Amino acid sequence: MYGVWEGLSQSIHACTLPRFKKTSGIMGAVRNKSAQSTAPLLTATPSRALVDQPIEIGIQHLPPDKPFTVRSRLHSEDGELWEAFSHYRSDQKGTVILSRDQSLGGSYSGLEPMGLFWSLQPVGVEGLRLRKKYVETPFTVEVSVLSDHVRSSDSPVGCHVGQGLEEGAVLAAVNVERWYMAPGVRRVEVREQGLVGTLFLPAGPGPFPAVLDMWGMGGGLSEYRAALLASHGFVTLALAYCGHEELPGPLHTVNVGEQYFETAMGQLDRHPQVCTGRVGVLGLCFGGYLALRIAMEMPNISPRCVVGISGPGGLGINMTRDQTNDFLKENQKLFRFDEQGNVIFRGITMPSNVPPNYKLKVESLRCPLQLIAAEDDQCCAAIECIDEIEERLGAVGKSGLLTRIQYPGAGHLIEPPYTPSVRVSLFHTYPKKLMALWGGELQPHSVAQEDAWNRTLGFLDHHLRTD
Amino acid sequence: MHAMSTMAMAGKGSCPLITIQPSRGLIDEKFQITVKNLLPGQAVTLHSLTQSEDSDFWEAFGHYVSDGKGTVKVAEDVSLGGSYDGLEPMGLLWSMKPAPGSRPGLRFRKKDVNTPLVMRIYVYKGHMRDGFNAESALACAVTERSYMAPGVRRTEISQDGVLGTLFVPPGPGPFPAVLDMWGGGGGLVEYRSALLASHGFVSLALEYFSSRTMGNASEKNPLTGNEYFEAAFIILKEHPQVASEWVALLGLSFGTSVALGMAVYSSVIQPSCVVCISGSHVQPVKESISGVFAEFGKNVHKTRYDENNYVIWRDLLLPIPTDPNKKVDLGRIKCPLLLIVGEDDQNWPAAESAEDMERMMETAGNRHLLTTLSYPGAGHLIEPPYSPHVRFSNFMLLQEKKKVVVLWGGETKLHSYAQEDSWQKILAFLEQHLYHNHDTTPQ
Repeated sequence: MYGVWEGLSQSIHACTLPRFKKTSGIMGAVRNKSAQSTAPLLTATPSRALVDQPIEIGIQHLPPDKPFTVRSRLHSEDGELWEAFSHYRSDQKGTVILSRDQSLGGSYSGLEPMGLFWSLQPVGVEGLRLRKKYVETPFTVEVSVLSDHVRSSDSPVGCHVGQGLEEGAVLAAVNVERWYMAPGVRRVEVREQGLVGTLFLPAGPGPFPAVLDMWGMGGGLSEYRAALLASHGFVTLALAYCGHEELPGPLHTVNVGEQYFETAMGQLDRHPQVCTGRVGVLGLCFGGYLALRIAMEMPNISPRCVVGISGPGGLGINMTRDQTNDFLKENQKLFRFDEQGNVIFRGITMPSNVPPNYKLKVESLRCPLQLIAAEDDQCCAAIECIDEIEERLGAVGKSGLLTRIQYPGAGHLIEPPYTPSVRVSLFHTYPKKLMALWGGELQPHSVAQEDAWNRTLGFLDHHLRTD
Repeated sequence: MHAMSTMAMAGKGSCPLITIQPSRGLIDEKFQITVKNLLPGQAVTLHSLTQSEDSDFWEAFGHYVSDGKGTVKVAEDVSLGGSYDGLEPMGLLWSMKPAPGSRPGLRFRKKDVNTPLVMRIYVYKGHMRDGFNAESALACAVTERSYMAPGVRRTEISQDGVLGTLFVPPGPGPFPAVLDMWGGGGGLVEYRSALLASHGFVSLALEYFSSRTMGNASEKNPLTGNEYFEAAFIILKEHPQVASEWVALLGLSFGTSVALGMAVYSSVIQPSCVVCISGSHVQPVKESISGVFAEFGKNVHKTRYDENNYVIWRDLLLPIPTDPNKKVDLGRIKCPLLLIVGEDDQNWPAAESAEDMERMMETAGNRHLLTTLSYPGAGHLIEPPYSPHVRFSNFMLLQEKKKVVVLWGGETKLHSYAQEDSWQKILAFLEQHLYHNHDTTPQ
């Protein structure tokens, strides 16, 4: 586990200019006062924390009233470099404190104590998205302070790819670990009754409330949000439903039906460490659609509450259990492309494009629902979907069940807070390489992530934990 | 794992939740423990449990009553009893004692600093004193407390005859440094150095008085002579990431004897500042370190025993001698000195020594260099927080190869307060004298 940061430490050595000369240690010589000074002291507390915990970063013993750059660097599990930087000025006491001082520019500006984490961008490679695959190890972020205000060189317009910082002198550096799993959380692979998923259990005998956690049509099995939820005391099942080699059928279609989700909910509800009847559902994008479908159209299962993020109320495509389909091929007329050739998916979820019989039976909602949407969502017409859902619930007197939250300037991928976001990333390599436009501007999107996570935890806590 | 008793509770009301913030931290960092979703005004016991590297269980517990919202916040609420009472946010750590039925005479010391201490905290219904059974807990949380911050590098040193472990903070440096020395128990203890490096100091945990360094325990053996400690100091001074003018000495117990002797009499060791914990300046000044140790041995007849037959060694150096050849001349120390004294130290006469040192410095005119922190109710082993306190423990006499039980002294709550306060003051003292006293303009 420590190999990652050891490598980082060594890379600091390689690039640091030896600016300080040592005095020779001659025994018995009169002490030479014009010796080297010590480097500034950079602290990050706590140095090991969950990804959703803010930390305090400060620097002391700097020369007063001088310009400095604070930089963060992270290597993804694929070895790609992500970087952010920000300009500050030390005060009269020679300190910089990120929770107190304004950034004068860089990857972010203004008072942003966690800016070094959410403004990380990939260096030199396009189309990346930062997602932790192995949740039992942390991301290690190297935070450093450099003299002067240094910048990344010119980045291509319209994209946030940095080309790497010129090396100002690195004055000090610390490593910070960002974890998705709290100590004591257990990870269990689930491959029973046809399910493909990973279960996360908080420490202790329980019983606990539970959450079914689902992502979107990118497929596969992403565990990190489920691990984080378990770190907050929920038994959480991260469930794969498409694009996973252990699921039946072709990778690029949804080949499981309602029975699959009923089985998953049933397993959670009957788990010996779960409080029966206290199971919620959380989904993003198509996972949000599935969450709604579970709440509205599957009479055999009753979630106690549902959270849908950036999710549609229906799709302009056929998704019944009896038919497999290739939704990309069938619905090309509903896609648009921006000037860079990135695909904009939102047309397929625009309510006006969705045949009525493909829309969810909103009126059948039986439990509290929190819907979160971004106003610059280019992948899903989430706002328009919420509008329609709100109207239809109102018509049957069920407005009280709905909490709606929307965020200006945010894009589709509303993820746990203080994690990097991107406006565009690689979505598919089959049948050809396709980049999706998610939307969102960095700073408002990060505000949305922080608030949405707090609201989601609060909503789940309120409905699943208390009476 | 099928806890049938908990299933009976499943239908009934809400699920209590205990959280520890931050769930991962350094051993000397505070945490906040919150329990939510209890019934209002519910009596609960918080129970902490950890297993030492020797597989012994250590535990602590506190009795609480939830507020009107069914919440307990250990940082704000009062413990009504248990292994600690009162408003004690960290009591579940520092008041730990060996679990009932443990072997006697244990002391909690982490040898492997690469891994964290793992502690589980349980919530039980009612005010319990024993019979804790994890299966029946209402809730549980786990916390990891580390001795090394991420990025700190640990290197075993075997150089110029010096044995020890070096800890270097992450980053380019240059850093100030600390030569870190424990006591006559000998061996190699790393956790304080690991913590110092986690706070920005290069730190060398020095091994001496172990079977490796003592060999045949001969005074002629260069490894136990003054040259050994001088060589260690030079290693730090000349380390490429150390700012060579900013090296300090830190010693506990016999380490204090080494630190004071070297600081005053060595032409090689010229520290920027010195920290002495639970020690004394009384030593035959013309002797090598191993000679000093042997001299103490001549007073072994002054050993006392308490009602349990635990060994009290504080009288071996009393009364404080008036002969200048028998104590370090503090009037000649040239750098700031911080003395940490436990007033209930049963092992060394730290309080009497500190008074005498102050008198010497007053007479010599360098009293302004001295700061003494004296803690009522604290014993000999003033360690970094929040290590559990023990009033006595097993001790191996190296040369006789005999095990005794030594009385260290201290009352747990006051001793733990001393550990917390002195550590903060030590870090501040080191930072002040090692980071501040220079021109900070970069070249």
